Amino acid sequence: MPELYRLPRPTDRPPAVDPVIKVTDVTRDYPRPRTSLLKRAEVVHALRGVSLEVQPGERFGIVGESGCGKSTLLRIIAALDRPTSGRVVVDGTDITRLPERRLRFLRENLQLVFQDPMSSLDPRMRVRDIIAEPLVVQGHPASGARVRELLDAVGLSADAGDRYPHQFSGGQRQRISIARALAPNPKILVADEPVSALDVSVRAQVLNLISDLVDELDLTLVFVSHDLSVVKHVCDRVAVMHAGEIVETGTTGEVYAAPRHPYTRRLVAAIPTIPKALAGATPEDLLTPPKGAPR
Amino acid sequence: MSSQADRQTSVPVDAVDVVSPADAEASEAAPAVLTVRGLTISVRDLELVSDVDLSVGPGERVGLIGESGSGKSLTALGILGLLPEDVTAAGSVRLSGIDHDLIGAGERRLSRVRGNHLAMVFQEPMTALNPTMRIADQVAEAMLVHRTQSNRRTARAAAVELLDRVQLTGIARAYPHQLSGGQRQRVVLAIALANDPALLICDEPTTALDVTVQAMVLDLILRGVTARDSALLFITHDLAVVATICQRVLVMYGGRVVESGPVREVFTNPRHRYTEGLLAASDLEAADSGPVGTSEPVRRRLPTIQGTVPAAGHFPDGCVFRTRCPHATEVCAERPPWTGDQTRGFACHHPAGADDV
Repeated sequence: MPELYRLPRPTDRPPAVDPVIKVTDVTRDYPRPRTSLLKRAEVVHALRGVSLEVQPGERFGIVGESGCGKSTLLRIIAALDRPTSGRVVVDGTDITRLPERRLRFLRENLQLVFQDPMSSLDPRMRVRDIIAEPLVVQGHPASGARVRELLDAVGLSADAGDRYPHQFSGGQRQRISIARALAPNPKILVADEPVSALDVSVRAQVLNLISDLVDELDLTLVFVSHDLSVVKHVCDRVAVMHAGEIVETGTTGEVYAAPRHPYTRRLVAAIPTIPKALAGATPEDLLTPPKGAPR
Repeated sequence: MSSQADRQTSVPVDAVDVVSPADAEASEAAPAVLTVRGLTISVRDLELVSDVDLSVGPGERVGLIGESGSGKSLTALGILGLLPEDVTAAGSVRLSGIDHDLIGAGERRLSRVRGNHLAMVFQEPMTALNPTMRIADQVAEAMLVHRTQSNRRTARAAAVELLDRVQLTGIARAYPHQLSGGQRQRVVLAIALANDPALLICDEPTTALDVTVQAMVLDLILRGVTARDSALLFITHDLAVVATICQRVLVMYGGRVVESGPVREVFTNPRHRYTEGLLAASDLEAADSGPVGTSEPVRRRLPTIQGTVPAAGHFPDGCVFRTRCPHATEVCAERPPWTGDQTRGFACHHPAGADDV
């Protein structure tokens, strides 16, 4: 599939450019509640030494199953959680031990879109207030013009601002989430499973929207999903996570076409596609990665 | 591994696919397991599902696809007689082996059918399970209620056996909250299969699951229905899943069946414009192989169906899809007739793949 490699690969980039996100050997342990007076509390190792770099303007995907630590990693990159050890540098600043009051630059430059558009939008707020909230919180003037501009950017009509989240469908709510994330003019957009709860046709619309906005606004995109086929469509480069570790990284085309790690192979094999199915693939075939795959 | 043992004892999956065309033909001759005629579901004077015809032959696997708000789940609930209070169903739903119509039957008669001849797997396994009961007891309950097992002890043994079959060994005494989403869904599947139903209805059973877990659950569903020779009605918005598991497919939009036929035909040669749009939007692979030869990084856009599914009651008259259809003309204000027959057909004035468009 040569057309997949038309995009500049990270290795082709001039090395002078500093990565916009640099995660070095990050671990995160969560203690579990004690179950015995005599024994120590158990510890869950959510992340076990994760390192990755995201270049400016890159579309970076993170794939893995629930429980593999991808959301923990996102929370740490967004400084919503602290690593147990390791270092996180965003936009040239080490955020690992930075106090909240000095994270303002991060709150402006890095914005999040979550999976469930219903629980991430306040049901009692009008859409225009939801979208303006990041601006208000950061002390910017929240003008109606800016809100209308954002609504327009995500393909919603201006009168949508007067309504409440429950009056919108899942896809439209996800558009509202995206508009809110774009409000403070971020450099980095982090999307945590933004299309997992959506229908196929709506999924296509939202993926196109994210793709267009990333291009237009020159954003760096970090896109998390459990579905490698979606990540492949949106991202240039992907990291595959399994049990708190990154087991494989590479350009999405390479990882998808020729997965190296056994886990990635299982993951790729499990994606049902119409061509595969019409060629006679049964669910059992989805469970068994093809033999003779590259080492 | 227990999965290996399972594979040997259950019917080989390959064998099923080989006989599938014969099955499809046989379904015309043999009496269908489920026959739905003119199913119309309405709330007060608003029609939510109109005039749905559908039949599922013995051992046949049928998919029902469409976006949220197309009326798929409502159709399933109508068949099961589980519609909310003020929602009414008209038409006819017959199940082989049951001597009365399910529509209009009283709750007492329906509850004897439900979970026995007719079983359902819901999308959200947490709300389908009782949080205060151990899972083996919940599986056993399904058999005790329908008296397919005579006493608690044999029912429990059968329940543990069923849980083994869905690869949940040694956790019979667990409570639902102790299980992961995929494990819970397998418990629900074990309950649904407990009484060897003639028809299993699955409503988006894998939508909330990871791809690897989804593959496993799909495999278990397929094994479960083939081992029992049960028919399957599988509801989803994921076309690839339907293509993997089903033999025949019905496409719903705006509460109507707009196209139906064997999976291979419908997915390779869609006739209704809605089916065509759905297929294009879900095909991430095709969208990736855009025009070759341009050197600059071009992003492939996914083809989409413009607009969104209207709210119930706001679908246009005539062809329900015409407000979103790029091929719609004045003719579409009239309701398109069904072209084709019961097994393969569509309702569109400007079908895809026709020369006269």
